[in-house]
Formats: sequence, C-alpha cells, structure tokens
Amino acid sequence: MQSRPAPPPRPPRPRPAEPALTRRGLMGLAGASAAALGATTLSGCGGAGASTDPDTLQVWSGLPPESGPQSLIDRFQEAHPDIPVRYTRYVNDDRGNLKVNTALQGGVDIDVFFTFGIANLAMRGGTDIAADLGDRVRATPELAGLLDPDEPMALMDGDTITALATTRAPNFILFNDTLREEAGVELPSSWTWQEYLEVIDALSGEEGRHGSYTLPDMPRIAIGPDYRLTAEGDSNFSHPAFLEHFATSAQLIRDGVLYPWSQALARQVEVYQQNNFVAGDFTSWVTAPFSLRFLNDQEAYPHDFRVSAAPMPTVEDQDWNTGEYGAFIQVNAKSKKQEWAWEFCKFWLLEGARDMLKAGYMSIISDVEEDEILEGLLGEGAEEFFDVESFRHTIFDGPPKLHMDTDLTAYSEISLKYEQQRDVCWLLERSPENAIRTVDRNTQALVDRFAEE
Amino acid sequence: MADTTTGTAARPTTAASAGYAARQAQQKRRRRRSRWAWGLPMWLLAVLFLLPFAWMISTSLKPDADAFLVPMQWIPEDARWENYTEVLFGETSILPSFLNSILVAVMRVLGELATATLAGYAFAKLPFRGRNKVFIAYLATSLIPAQLLLVPRFVYFQQLGLYDTLWALILPGMFTVLGTFLMRQYFVSQPDEFAEAARLDGAGEFRIFSRIYLPSAMPMISALAILTFVWSWNDYETPLVFLSDPEKFTLPLGLTSFVDETGAMAPGLSMAAAVLSILPILLVFLVFQRRFVHAMTESALK
Amino acid sequence: MTTTRTASADADPTTELPASARRRAGRSPADPRPVVGWLFIAPNLLGVLAFTFIPLVSVILLSFTHWDLVSGFGGIEFVGIDNFVAVVKDPSFWNGLWLTILYAGVAVPLTLAVGLALALALNRDLPGRGLLRAAFFVPYIVNIVAIGMTWQMLLDPSAGLVNQFLGTLGMQDLPQWFASSRWALPALILVTVWAQAGYANLIYLSALQDAPAQLYEAAQIDGAGRWRTFRTITWPSLLPTTIFLLVTLFVGISQTFGMIALITNGGPGDSTTTLSFYMYQTSFQFYRFGYASAVGLVTFLGIFAVMLVMWRAQRGRSLNG
Repeated sequence: MQSRPAPPPRPPRPRPAEPALTRRGLMGLAGASAAALGATTLSGCGGAGASTDPDTLQVWSGLPPESGPQSLIDRFQEAHPDIPVRYTRYVNDDRGNLKVNTALQGGVDIDVFFTFGIANLAMRGGTDIAADLGDRVRATPELAGLLDPDEPMALMDGDTITALATTRAPNFILFNDTLREEAGVELPSSWTWQEYLEVIDALSGEEGRHGSYTLPDMPRIAIGPDYRLTAEGDSNFSHPAFLEHFATSAQLIRDGVLYPWSQALARQVEVYQQNNFVAGDFTSWVTAPFSLRFLNDQEAYPHDFRVSAAPMPTVEDQDWNTGEYGAFIQVNAKSKKQEWAWEFCKFWLLEGARDMLKAGYMSIISDVEEDEILEGLLGEGAEEFFDVESFRHTIFDGPPKLHMDTDLTAYSEISLKYEQQRDVCWLLERSPENAIRTVDRNTQALVDRFAEE
Repeated sequence: MADTTTGTAARPTTAASAGYAARQAQQKRRRRRSRWAWGLPMWLLAVLFLLPFAWMISTSLKPDADAFLVPMQWIPEDARWENYTEVLFGETSILPSFLNSILVAVMRVLGELATATLAGYAFAKLPFRGRNKVFIAYLATSLIPAQLLLVPRFVYFQQLGLYDTLWALILPGMFTVLGTFLMRQYFVSQPDEFAEAARLDGAGEFRIFSRIYLPSAMPMISALAILTFVWSWNDYETPLVFLSDPEKFTLPLGLTSFVDETGAMAPGLSMAAAVLSILPILLVFLVFQRRFVHAMTESALK
Repeated sequence: MTTTRTASADADPTTELPASARRRAGRSPADPRPVVGWLFIAPNLLGVLAFTFIPLVSVILLSFTHWDLVSGFGGIEFVGIDNFVAVVKDPSFWNGLWLTILYAGVAVPLTLAVGLALALALNRDLPGRGLLRAAFFVPYIVNIVAIGMTWQMLLDPSAGLVNQFLGTLGMQDLPQWFASSRWALPALILVTVWAQAGYANLIYLSALQDAPAQLYEAAQIDGAGRWRTFRTITWPSLLPTTIFLLVTLFVGISQTFGMIALITNGGPGDSTTTLSFYMYQTSFQFYRFGYASAVGLVTFLGIFAVMLVMWRAQRGRSLNG
C-alpha cells in the first residue's frame, strides 16, 4: 500500500472530433462570455468615486442621511447655492472604516469626512491625511471654545489642529421608575460613589433583577481625559482606581447586583442594552443619549414605566463625566476644495445643531433651547414616559465635564488589551489583581514600543 | 469455517442440500441481524451528528424572540415561513449575495480549469529546459498560506482599483498552484506514447492535448471543478477583507447581515438564510455524490 | 493509430531505444518544441507570479518596514529587523503560537480519530451505507458562517441546546463555551472536529475499501483477533492516508480564521487569538502592516519547517516500502 502502482495505460478512446472541441470550445466560450458579463457588472460597481469632481463637495459620514445630515445639507445648499454637496454614508464598523481609510489613502475624492471613535481618529490624525485647520479655527472666534486646553474638543498637536469634535454625549444613569419606587429608592440629584453603590445594591432584588447593567467607568470620573497614560506618557494603570473598578465590578457580578458579564458577551449586548432595560433585567442603566432614541420609540420598544435620569456620581470629589466629545469632522489633506470644505465645516459646527438633534445628537455649539433639545431627545409627549425635569437637570446642570483623549499612542492596542483583561476578570476567570497587572505591563510595553510615533 | 467457503464442493445429495439450505437461511438471518446490529447505532449516531441542522431548520421557522426559549421547542407552534420570504425578498435579501457567490465561483472554476489543465499537462508531458526548477518553485509556493498574502494582495488590489470589486476574489482563485499540481499528477500517470506518436504524425501540441489527454482527464477535471467550487462558495475570509459594499457581498458575508438594529444576530432570519445557503451545495452533493466522493478521494490518493 | 506507429517504428531505427534514451540522444520528431511547454504554462505561471509570488516578495519586504497604510507609500519606513525583534518580544505572538499549536494539535488528531472510527464502523455491510457516509460528510461542505452562527447559538451558555441538555443530566456549573476564556478554544475545537470528521471518514473509508482482501482473510485464517488485525495490518496500511490527512488538515486548521472572526473576535480575553487571527488584527484593526507581515512570515517559516519534517517522514516511509 505504500506506493500505488501506475494504472495500466489506457488506450486512447476513439473520440469523434466534435465532443473534444466542443468541450474545450464550450469552456472557452463560456469563460469569455462570463468574463465579458462579469467585467461589466464588476467594473461598474467598482469605479464609483474614483474620479475627482471639482465642482462637488464630497462629504463622507457614518450617519444615515435621512436621520439628520440630509436636512443640514439642504440648508447648507440654500445658504451656499454655489457649492453642490454629495453625501456618502459608510457603515461605522471595522469594514466601513477600513474602506474610508483606504479611500483616503488611495486618493478617492473626499473633501470632508467624519470620524467616530478615538481609535479611528488615531488612524486619521496625522497631517498627511487630515488638513491642518489651526489657522482657520483661530480666525473664527465662535469656535474658540473648542480649544480649551483643560477640556479639549479638538485634536491638537501644538498649533496644528486636524479634527474638531461636533457632538457631546454626556453619560447619565437611567432608572426604571416603577422598579425604583418599589425598592423605595429616592431619585438622587447628586451623589457620591459610595451612595451610588448603596443605591444599586438596594435596587437589586429577586432572581433575575439586577441593580445595574455595569458600573460607570469610575477611573474616568476620577481622572478625566487621557486617563490611561500618565503625563509622561507611561502606563497609568497602576492607579488604584483601575484596580478598584475591576474588583468592585467583579464582586458585584458575583453578588448578582450587576448583570452577569458572561451573558452580556454571549448575547452580544456590550454595545446596546435597551432590550434588556425594557424587559426589566436591571433597574438602573449607565448609558449615553443615543439610547434615548430607542426609549422614546413606544412602537418598537413598548414599555409602561417611566424613565428618570441622574447625573454621574462623584469620585473623591472628582466629577468628570464619562461621556465624550465625538463625531469628529475632518478635512482631507489632499482635497482640492479646501475653502469649500471649511465653509461646510463651519456651517456644520455653528448652525447644524437642530438637524443633528433629529439624529439624537447634541451639538457642542448650539443655538437650540434646552426645551427643544429635551424634546428632540425624549420625543414628543415625553412627560408620559420620562421624568423630564430630571433629564434637564442631568444633561444641562453643571455642565457635565466631558473628555476627549488626545494622547493617541497605540490607542487601539491598549484598548484591546484593556478590554480583554476586563472581560476575563468580569467573567470571574481571572483575579482583578492579575488582570490589572497584565494591562499595566502590556500598556507599558506598547508605550515603550510606539511612543515616538 | 467450512460454511463460508462455498462453491467448490461437489453437488450435495438431497438430504445434505436440505441441511445446506437451512444453514444458508440461518446465515442470512445472522447477517441481517449483524447488519442491523451495527446499522441501528450508526444511524442513531448520524442523526445525532446532524442534529445542529435540525435545530437550524427549527429555529428558522420561529420568530426571533422564541429562538432561545428554555426548554427548547423543536416544532414551532406557528411555523413562520415569513422568515424565508423576508430573507429572499425582503429589504436585506440574500439573493444578491447568492448571485455574487455564483458569479465568483463559476469564474474561478473556469479560470482554474483552463490554466491548471494547461500548466499541469505541460509539467507532465512537455519537457523544456528549466521545467523542473519551475516545478520545484511551484511546490514551495504551495505551502504558503493564503492569509500571509492577504495584506499585499489588499494593497495591490487597492492600487489597481480592484478593492471592493469581485475581481479581488476571482483573480487569485483562478491561478492556483494546487490545481496545477493535481492536474500534473494526473497527467503524469498517463502514458507518453500517444503524444509521441501523434507528434510523429504531425499533430500540433494543442491538438494532442485537447483531443487525446484532456478528454481522458475528465474525472480529475471534474474533481478539481468541484473542489474549487466548494472552496470558493464557502470562502469567508477573502470577501471579509476585500469587500465593503454590501451589494457586492458574497453569500458568507451576506449571511451575517441579518442583524437587528443593535447589531445582534437575528436568529430566525439568520437561520433561514443559512438553510437557504446550504441547499444548493447540498443538492449538488446529493446529485453528484459519486463524482464528489471521487473528487475528494482522487485528490487524496494521487 | 497502431498501424501508423508500427510503420514509423520500422522506418526509423532510433525508435528501438526507449523514449528517455531517445531524448538524451537529442531531440527527435517525437519531442515537443520547448517553447510550447512555456506557452502552456504561461497563463497559470503569470497568474501565480502576479497574485502569489509577487505578494510573497512584498510580504518579505514589508516585514522590514513600519507602515500603517493610511499614510500612503510615502509613509513606508524601513526599520531593518526591528519587527522581528518585536515579534520575539511580543507576548501576544507567543500566546498566539501556543494557541495555534494547541488548537491544531488537538483538533487534527481528534478529527483523524473520529474519522477513522467512523470509517471502521462503516466499513461493513450496512443498510444505507452510502447515505450514512453522506450524512457524516455534509458538515464539511457547509459554509463556515452557517456553521459558526448555528453553533454559537447551540452553545449559548444559558439557553443553548447543549447546555440545556447538560443541565437535564444534572450537571452544575455548566461550561460557558464562547463566553468563557477557558472554554472558548475547546468549543472551537469541538465545532472544527464536527465539521471535518466527515472528510477524514470519507478518505479513510476509501482507503479501507481499497485494501486487498487477502491480507485480512489470511489474518482471519491465522486466528488473529480484531485488535491485533487492526494494529498489524489495518493501521500500517493506512499510514500514507493518515499522513496525507495530517498535512491537509493541519494546514487548513491553522487558518481557521473565519469562525474566530465571526464568533469570538479573539476572545474572551485573548483565549482564541491564534496566529492567523492575530495577523488579521494587527493589519486591519491596528494598521501595522509591516509588523503583521513579520508575524506572518515567522508563522509561515514555522509551518514550512513542520511540513518539511512531515514530508521527510513520508518519503522515508515510502522509500522503505
């Protein structure tokens, strides 16, 4: 059985000339026609956007046009009839962002584009991708607020500015009021970390009902922007807040006060949890304004309880909000229509608040009244399902101090390491000490490796 | 032992033949029992083995919320055939990705067959200087995992404007080393004499190839065709990287698009789509079972 | 045909020599012109050059650079062997290597074992044997996304069929499968074996059925027991098949990237970040194309070395006959 004997030579089968040719010819013919058909189909789809149109401003964003951007663009066109705008939507996931990055690198005609999430910003922050808007911003007094050094809302490197945040998303804590009142808990208007822990403990009750989905990002509250790295750029994970955050969460998961993380991972609810909130799986919920979009939709998410809001608890007198400035607008460094692009950016930043509200976003620079904002976020007839005053207090009083990370060294890798260890710790498969130590060690190694970039 | 050796004994007498017949009958019963003694557990095992598919079908007929009911409900109360119509004709229909998959697979198979048969034949039957060196280079190249080439291919396709087109999937698949290798192995086992004789007759090389060797290579060719088709049909990694426009998705990618607005998989729709995606391959397999098996074993044992 | 052949054989005295000798003696009319060989190879060769060979060279070159793609070709920065040094120091690389070895090292033998067991069981007169063989083979031809999605739900920690069943058996503390850093890799192995065993079964079955019956009959006459027969006759005869399967399964499995990308994304933690997934992560999530190329190159050289060892082992066996 080691080597197969060669099969006996087969005599050439007497084949009439036709079939052999037909088979080959058929293959060839089929191949050629398929190629022709395929070529037209395939190339037709591939060529879009490959050419430069000097007369149209190309804007790329991750939001569906009908949820707000389109009306903004329409108003822009009215104000600037000489600048036609073409809006392209990309899906804000790994693949979509890869497409944007390759398009930017490949010279596709893009003039203005939006970046969602700091990880993606890290890829597009350099001046070879994004145009330096520094001078233009400084020449526009209305935008001065974005350049606050303590609470930056733009990506600045010295005098160079390559991205401007357009939205603010203060995080808050939502309550299922029916369950909250059942538990006899009063709605707090301000509270400390300790009080917060006591509340969610009181809110967790019988089987299957948890006090909260997760804890707020406590280190963020205590430290603020760029909390993963020290001022010198080294790993900051040895800061006790991180260990405490991991450990407290693990303990509360074990106790049943927090939603079990294994369930969260298995059902992929790490990003959107409105289904669980509506179903009463947990009584309180740390989340951002985008979730309100679901809660004010009684058709898709019918529920009969009222929702109230409370601000972030303070940690050792530090009161950073865990929400961030986002939806960064950038101009393509290779764009040949820099003036137009800047006009569009200015318009979006200064006059786009009302349209963005429709998409559930609060703009940083806004001429919209508080009531209108609340109505935009909570929907009409909000009184029935929301404790509107609590929202007013939570979103506007303060105002909440949001953050924007500006030290982007190895951002994606550090995030991944952090999330990986957090997952195994909250799955109760790794001690918080070991998890944090691993994050710290890995982050330091990453910083050492990539710091010069 | 004496029972089993048959045929050579002389014709038995009447009495002996009666006993013989009885023994034969007893053997038949024993054999049937042993057939079923093994058959039954194997059939049970097969059913167990295929249980995931049964679950798939069951879930595909349920509304999404019921998919995770505890305890499991095998037969849904209200078979939700709308899942299938939604998957086929709804907003996110899998039909476009179906067609894309077919287009890519067919093109790959045609291209692969064309180039691999020619090259394989040349390696086997057309000696020329440097042939062995090239072949050794081919052998070495065959060990390269496709994943290693993902990044440079990505960059090249993007430079050539082929990123986010189906060509990025088709082209690398049309020119493979493995296909050439298989065809060469096959042609090597064919005798040289026919080619030599035909050449002395004055036949052109291509005619020798197409009229003599190619027809008799049909089993191997269909083997290669089937293998290439299945590989192409099931490929998930390449489209994941090279495609981004949902309209160009092939089937594996299209299957992942049945998510609700939170990005979580919608079980009912996803399973309906999965069932539909399996049907064509399953059909091909059942109809061409013999060829299929032959394809697999040919590539293995050559 | 035959008549013509004899005729020319008579006419030309050199045709009495074997074909190979004729070739050595110099080209004869019975030999093809060399350029034809090149022409035939051309389509395939050009394609392979363009889509396989040149990318391979690029990977080798890229592995000596830092490049994030986004800054264009101008952003390619030559850094010598920095990447390779970084690979050696990278805990994620070693983790990935370990996971890949663990995954392949368990999944492949298990697949072979299950396939062989099935083949032995099916290698007898059974009712509906062809259908049985087909049944076990079906998972192999189903696409990885359908399989991944299905098993992800079957292995759901709380409501999946598997844990429901285990629960009725009275098991406490059920494995959390893909939601556990301890069970995610075993879950992947389970699914892989399920999907591939049918293929191994098919190949083994064909090999078994090709086996000459006399050997088994002789063993039976000699009074050898079933286990002895298996050990001394069946198993050695299946060795080439086994080695073939080892090679094909090993290479295929080291690349099972699809399921990881679909279900676990390398996690929980980094418990399923095999080398192939790590390469993908490094290129398309971290945009470090130079480093990813270095990782890939090191992996490839590793696989190459293993293949070489296996190839030598197989050659040695067939030489020893």
